[in-house]
Amino acid sequence: MRYVKWALVMLGFAAVALGIDAVQGQQLTGEYKIGVLEPLTGNLAVQGKLHLEGYEIMRDLINERFGGVMGKKLVFVTGDAVDPTVAASEATRLATREGVKIISGTFSSTLCGAASEAASRQNVIYWESSCVDPRLTRRGLKNVFRTEIDGTGFGWYNVEFIAKHLAHRLGKKTSELRVAYLSEDSSYGQSVTESARQRAKQEFGMQEVGLEYYTFTTNDLTPIILKLKNANPDILHHIARDQDAILFWRQAREQNFQVKAVVHAGATGYGAPGFGKAFGNDANGPFALLEPGPGLIIEKMRPEGQRIERAFREAVKAKTGSDITGGHQLAGGGLWILKLALDAAKTDDLDRFRAAVLAMDLPVGSAVNGWGVKFDETGQNSNARVQHYMLQWQGGQLVTVWPEEFTTNRAKWIPLGAWDQRK
Amino acid sequence: MHVVPQLIVSTILLGGIYALIAVGLTLIFGVMRVVNFAHGEFLMLGMYLAFWAFALLRLDPYLTLVLSLPLIYGFGWLSYRMVMRPVIHASHNVQIFTTVGLSILLQNVALVLWTADSQFVRTSYYAVVVRLGNAVLNLAQLVAFAVAVLCTAALFAFMRWSYTGKVMRATAQDRAVASLMGIDTGRVFALTWAVGVTCVGVAGVLLAPIYPVYPTVGLQFVLIAYVAVVLGGLGDMAGALLASLIVAAVEVIGSYVIGTAWKEVLYLLLFIGILVVRPAGLFGQRGAEAIGT
Repeated sequence: MRYVKWALVMLGFAAVALGIDAVQGQQLTGEYKIGVLEPLTGNLAVQGKLHLEGYEIMRDLINERFGGVMGKKLVFVTGDAVDPTVAASEATRLATREGVKIISGTFSSTLCGAASEAASRQNVIYWESSCVDPRLTRRGLKNVFRTEIDGTGFGWYNVEFIAKHLAHRLGKKTSELRVAYLSEDSSYGQSVTESARQRAKQEFGMQEVGLEYYTFTTNDLTPIILKLKNANPDILHHIARDQDAILFWRQAREQNFQVKAVVHAGATGYGAPGFGKAFGNDANGPFALLEPGPGLIIEKMRPEGQRIERAFREAVKAKTGSDITGGHQLAGGGLWILKLALDAAKTDDLDRFRAAVLAMDLPVGSAVNGWGVKFDETGQNSNARVQHYMLQWQGGQLVTVWPEEFTTNRAKWIPLGAWDQRK
Repeated sequence: MHVVPQLIVSTILLGGIYALIAVGLTLIFGVMRVVNFAHGEFLMLGMYLAFWAFALLRLDPYLTLVLSLPLIYGFGWLSYRMVMRPVIHASHNVQIFTTVGLSILLQNVALVLWTADSQFVRTSYYAVVVRLGNAVLNLAQLVAFAVAVLCTAALFAFMRWSYTGKVMRATAQDRAVASLMGIDTGRVFALTWAVGVTCVGVAGVLLAPIYPVYPTVGLQFVLIAYVAVVLGGLGDMAGALLASLIVAAVEVIGSYVIGTAWKEVLYLLLFIGILVVRPAGLFGQRGAEAIGT
């Protein structure tokens, strides 16, 4: 009898294990090809390559452990979208010569408009995983979808953080906060900045004490810093692209520009790994609205979200040898939702695919990055479902600090102290 | 008013950086009549040289500068032999396509070898500043400015008083007559190209502790260097230095007074305005662009 019990227990374990591995062991029949369009050369290549790496790691994970897409092995054909003109021609090439029905990319707000227009002309689905230009989904194009929030969402979250967290940490009412806005002048920077300005003023009555746009290849930001010193803001809302964040931080230090907090949004500028590499511990202090980083309490996510989140983080670590970055998370998160949509639609026919996408309704915590899914008629995933997190440079790395219920870390240096005391 | 000293200092330091880049460009154009579209990429290579010497060997950029001078010169000479020599007597169109091609090639080689990531040489003194009343000077920028002035003065003196400089000027004025006088114009062009590349390579090493380096960093500086070279008068070293300071002044003061978004509009307006009044630039000789062709 004892042997029978043991046998039953072992059978039970085997059944559970088989259930878990049922998807993993699923035989994939044939291939399903999509186009991935990213800037792999030129000024935007830093982020473009990170995004492509995120796509590839998630693709391999989907094929090896999550049953491919529609039961087929997912494969990529890539294009290099170095600028808007090339983005459009590459999108056309992927559709006409490579025969793909879905193009995903292009991360940058300077590229996604041109690429999606070209995809639309070829009646191909355009699946954007990162670009935040609000205009992308406001053109009535039925083939365009975006998994990431748009620029207005970034601005919304940044002001939420300033109003709900920084204000009381600084001992001020929101109407007493003096905010200066500084941004690189692409549609990404402008959309985030303008939405933040609007919400800060209209909902919270924050005082705007400065507004400045600049080209991200500017060679000297000292004049701007002098103006900011005169304006004396509490908060600097700075949307930077890449090397401009490094230049600004160095020159702000030289000029001993003191501000109580610096808030950024996105995987560029202060949100890019290069910022930490450039300064080490001297990078400590600025905040960047991103996907979740170290400190995230994954257990707060739903079980299905936890499973893919853990698997993706481990895969990135195994492939790159370093922690996951914002670029990986946006691309991987976007591709995962595309897989869910294709599995639900079981086809890439535009009308049926669109119907399946609009019918998806997953709560926050269901997918990679703790995201949920609820697309509206414009093809935009709901800002409220795409949970974002505030990260801060601490000890030379970006760690998750807000919302506090999702993280083990706490925001430091509020207000920012002297430059040499942020250790 | 309290910002005026800082604006002046920023103008001088930024102008020094532009001059450092422009001086090699104007030398190459002045003698060879070649617009070097790969100039920014030689700058990028100089920056990467400093970065890798620092990252791998912990060599200070200023030590790298001294040690790498022969290397940069050699690379310049080699690039002339391999790329420029076959097209030196070809039409301007061919030369433009050649240097643009070289530019794209070097950018993409850098991209493949070193990725598109921004890298930064964080020396122990990267944040060290010199205070001058109300103004703050970054030490590395101060050094770059001093070297820019030194380079310009040395090149000016070399061109004016040395025998080789006279040979180079003779070649610039009329390469056919120079050949008839027994000047080996091929050697003059090789020397000019190598010295011009060395100047911009030196600029790259000096800029590495100031700006992040990435494969397309050259584009960030070289357009302004072109403006300075044309504004100062093609082939004129002192003109390039002065024009670099003018462009920097317009950029810095315009950014502060009107707004950073307007800085390019402002210096390009000034550029057009000066060329309308003086088509050969501030110090250029009328018709200089045609001399020697």
